Amino acid sequence: MASPSPKSPGQISDKSKKYDRQLRLWGDHGQTALESANVCLINATATGTEILKSLVLPGIGSFTIVDGALVTGEDAGNNFFLDHSKIGKPRAHVATQLLMELNSDVKGDYIEETCDQLLSNNPDFFCSFSVVIATGLTEKSLHSLSSNLWQNNVPLVVSVSYGFIGSIRLQVSELCIIESHPDNLLEDLRLDKPFPGLKEFMDTIKLPEMNHKQFSHTPYLVLLYKALEIWNDRHGPNPPSNYKEKEILRNIIKSELGYGIVEEEDSNSGDEENVAEAIKAVNTALTKTQVPSNVQKILNDDQCIRLKEKNSFWIIARAVKEFVEKEGNGVLPLRGSLPDMTSDSQRYIALQNVYREQASKDAEHVWRHVQTILKERGWAGESVIENDVKLFCRHSSELRMIRGSCLAEELDGKQLPPDVDINQQLEEPDSPWLHYLLLRAVNKFHTENGSFPGYYDDNVETDIAKLKGCFSRLLNDLGCQGGSLSKDDNLHEMCRYGAAELHAVAAFIGGCAAQEVIKLITKQYVPLDNTFIFNSVTSTTATLRL
Amino acid sequence: MADVNVAPSLLDDSIRKSKILVVGAGGIGCELLKNLVLSGFNDILVIDLDTIDVSNLNRQFLFQKEHVGKSKAVIARESALGFNPNVTIVAKHDSVMNSEYNVTFFKQFTVVMNALDNRAARSHVNRMCLAANVPLIESGTAGYLGQVTAIRKGLSECYDCNPKAGQKSFPGCTIRNTPSEPIHCIVWAKHLFNQLFGEADPDEDVSPDTADPEAAGDAGSVALQNQASEAGNVTRVSTRAWAQQSEYDPSKLFGKFFCDDIKYLLSMDKLWTKRTPPTPLSWDNIPEEISDQQGGLIKDQKVWSPAECVQAMVSSIKILYQRSKELNGEESFLVWDKDDEASMDFVTACSNLRSHVFSIPKKSRFDVKAMAGNIIPAIATTNAVIAGLIVFEAFKILEGKWEECRHVYLNSKPNALNKVIAPSSLDSANPKCYVCSPHPEVTVLLNVSQMTVQSFEDKVLRGALHMISPDVMVDDGKGTVLISSEEGETTENMSKSLSDFNISDGTRLRCEDFHQEYDLNITIIDREHLEENREFTVIADPSQLQPKAAVESSGPQPSTSSSKPAPSTRATESVEIDEDLDVIFQKGTANDDHQQEPSIRKRSISGQADIGSASKKLRLSENDIIEL
Repeated sequence: MASPSPKSPGQISDKSKKYDRQLRLWGDHGQTALESANVCLINATATGTEILKSLVLPGIGSFTIVDGALVTGEDAGNNFFLDHSKIGKPRAHVATQLLMELNSDVKGDYIEETCDQLLSNNPDFFCSFSVVIATGLTEKSLHSLSSNLWQNNVPLVVSVSYGFIGSIRLQVSELCIIESHPDNLLEDLRLDKPFPGLKEFMDTIKLPEMNHKQFSHTPYLVLLYKALEIWNDRHGPNPPSNYKEKEILRNIIKSELGYGIVEEEDSNSGDEENVAEAIKAVNTALTKTQVPSNVQKILNDDQCIRLKEKNSFWIIARAVKEFVEKEGNGVLPLRGSLPDMTSDSQRYIALQNVYREQASKDAEHVWRHVQTILKERGWAGESVIENDVKLFCRHSSELRMIRGSCLAEELDGKQLPPDVDINQQLEEPDSPWLHYLLLRAVNKFHTENGSFPGYYDDNVETDIAKLKGCFSRLLNDLGCQGGSLSKDDNLHEMCRYGAAELHAVAAFIGGCAAQEVIKLITKQYVPLDNTFIFNSVTSTTATLRL
Repeated sequence: MADVNVAPSLLDDSIRKSKILVVGAGGIGCELLKNLVLSGFNDILVIDLDTIDVSNLNRQFLFQKEHVGKSKAVIARESALGFNPNVTIVAKHDSVMNSEYNVTFFKQFTVVMNALDNRAARSHVNRMCLAANVPLIESGTAGYLGQVTAIRKGLSECYDCNPKAGQKSFPGCTIRNTPSEPIHCIVWAKHLFNQLFGEADPDEDVSPDTADPEAAGDAGSVALQNQASEAGNVTRVSTRAWAQQSEYDPSKLFGKFFCDDIKYLLSMDKLWTKRTPPTPLSWDNIPEEISDQQGGLIKDQKVWSPAECVQAMVSSIKILYQRSKELNGEESFLVWDKDDEASMDFVTACSNLRSHVFSIPKKSRFDVKAMAGNIIPAIATTNAVIAGLIVFEAFKILEGKWEECRHVYLNSKPNALNKVIAPSSLDSANPKCYVCSPHPEVTVLLNVSQMTVQSFEDKVLRGALHMISPDVMVDDGKGTVLISSEEGETTENMSKSLSDFNISDGTRLRCEDFHQEYDLNITIIDREHLEENREFTVIADPSQLQPKAAVESSGPQPSTSSSKPAPSTRATESVEIDEDLDVIFQKGTANDDHQQEPSIRKRSISGQADIGSASKKLRLSENDIIEL
């Protein structure tokens, strides 16, 4: 037997059993990020506790509920974590206890104060959180909270369930994503720009010196490479780019790459699997190797060039930029993985090693750039971990960056995006802009009247008129003079809702918002940018950028 | 429109008076029960056959650690009642396909909501709701994807209106002789587990298949002699009995499966003219290649080296053999379970050793588990969203606004119109549907002289057509009864072939499922060989039938030197569905189906234009704003 191997390679923990189904979406490092996150929920409303539920279940590190209210009958009716026996007790306390029962790995804490009290007594309170989730806040409180978090660079997720309408607003000043999980990631093969190791490897392979068996077990990448050499001899250095040119290359693969040594039993030529694979790969494997525009944007960003802060993402981004300009000769670090292909093990592994070695060389260069950058600025060496550099390099072609906008500025009357024709939107019965404005209008109503329209049954008629006023003043504030609603149906609806929080809407919005929080924490997948509107009557959703 | 305020209204009233059946208390079921109770529903029956597993706890929030092993339905009821003791919830720890849940049972409900994880049960509940004329809300999730739709007899398409793609299955000889993908080796390793420890199934043989039509020729006889001299009379006793003789000596097992059998396969040299031939492994010389190390991976995601595989194989065999010795008479075999460590280690090790032998890329334990267990990722957030959407559909049904019901898809990214949720009007029923049309018909292609009545019942009627207790009569003017749902009445027919009952090309069979109140006429088309070595093919719409010649010419060459009865080569190996999943209609999401078939599935979408082909293009662009 060979040398001793690990005692039981299959041993796995209880935790990975429990989280098995989600590890398959964000991996163990995503799970680690989740487990070290600390989330704050402001107000344990139905929407708020639904969000926390979907964060506690997958195993977030800890949560804190900030809520100065007591449990009411309405809470008991629509909130799974507040029941009738708890009416009159502090909402923060009761909800925390029940949410903690969902998962013993999660720590929970609560503060029986309102958001406003905390902001004035302890303005730094929110700085320590990974994400702050706000529900059930008035426009004024939301304004103060938004400014505070924007300054302190803490992401904010505001969630609303209002009658049959729901909304989510993400406020994040800057979010850098290494693993964006794109749908159609192409392999990073460099056939058009072979690195020295690849060239060397390919040059050792001589198809004409093979018999049929050796030929048919050659990885298709080799066939593609050899065909491309023939192409380049005839047509110059640019790889085929259109259908016609690709057909020529396919024909080269089909008819010009044969093996040299003909043996008697080699009668089955013509339908080799590797040839078929090479022909199939012509479309995807020959894409020009270049820095994608979303990545170039990051490398050219002011943050990357000036490197003002000691931020791991930007330091590595800067190091990658230097790599691209120096050792990389204009291309990103090699990803280092290969697709599966028909081949004998030996040559597949050899080829795999060629790509791996180059990838680790590239990552090594980037790592050295990182160390130089840190040294030049007198920053501590441990600000960046080598494994992070490797991860960054592996995903360098899918980097994404989002710069959001400040909610407080939006509430201060920031104009709507110029490309939105608001009058046209107001005519459409299910326009997301209409629902957005209606939600703003009821908040304005609340600021002016101290309660939401239709909240008191006997005021409904007068509230409709008042809400209409709020709506047209809001349009004016936003620079849409002359805009108005041709019909009052939607205003009636908003008044009829009376700010009721329907559980099914809260459940839906809770699920969506929790998923956004997970994206913010794991820094994987691209979060919404930046306002999400849901109409449960028509089951429609839309994303607005404000 | 409903009043959502405290004031009573028509909807509030109909919610209170309604009686709801929730089928399934898993991922969606838990969320749904909570939503129903908090939306004012107060008469609910929940049914689920399953018990609680640790891997459920990351999303099925009505369950906690101490509940593992208990009935999902019972615990879900207790947890929901703990919140609101004033509602009536009845829990059934049972299969909804059980005969006591007949049409009369279904008729008592206002709405039935499916929160299921498998196609057979979905199809069955669909038929029961059609027969009872009760509205059904169907739903499913997979990772970030999900969908909800409403089904009502005569007013919409039913679950079976669009034939679902069959489960992925592999020809027997691919598994036994010529694997080319990791999944082939994984299926083989699961079969090996069953041969050694589990319930032996002749369709799951793991040794070389001498009847492989491709290997036809002289190879067999030479190889057989070699086999006889090297392995003695191994092939004549069952694999399990043979393993017991050596007390599951790992070196002997290894020698047979990764050396002797492979040498035997090599002797079938026709198989290797176009393929990479396998390389037998030797117990004394296991290659210690550097295993596939990538930075920062947990142990489970590492690909084991051959030596590590052998190590894991040895230790798992030891545990499994010990366990099988401890079995008492009643359960004389082990059942493979993806969540059992030794079972998973065994399959990971053996599948990777086989992959090594056949130069197929090896997989980590984590990936093998996903493939072997057909695991589909599942998270709380998607289930929460889908369960919310189910309730909105229920509101519309209770208000009598059927025309406002929608088929809703939850995409992982926004579609062409920047929407994560894509609602579309319900399609009308497929007039040729083999379930909900007035005179359901299907055509089945099979070999009448090979197919036994037993196989026809198990694989065609129950397996593919999801019948529960079929009665079948041959339409021959004499009323010959082929299969009776009365126990014992047709037992003697079971081992006979269909041709023994004069069933031939064009024969019609009248099938009736008393329990499902479902009648179906089947037309048999006799085909000696079917594509991809399939045993049979069900065609819902006869116009899809290809010209006979085309089908036959693409079939395999007839076997000439078959030393075994031919059926063994035609058996297909299917990967079974993971039972504790909240799987949707089919893997790959129906949304993709719709994009691929715009002509069949042109939809009018409320408040937006067509979601058709444009959305695919957009996925490539920068516009991925939200994923759920």
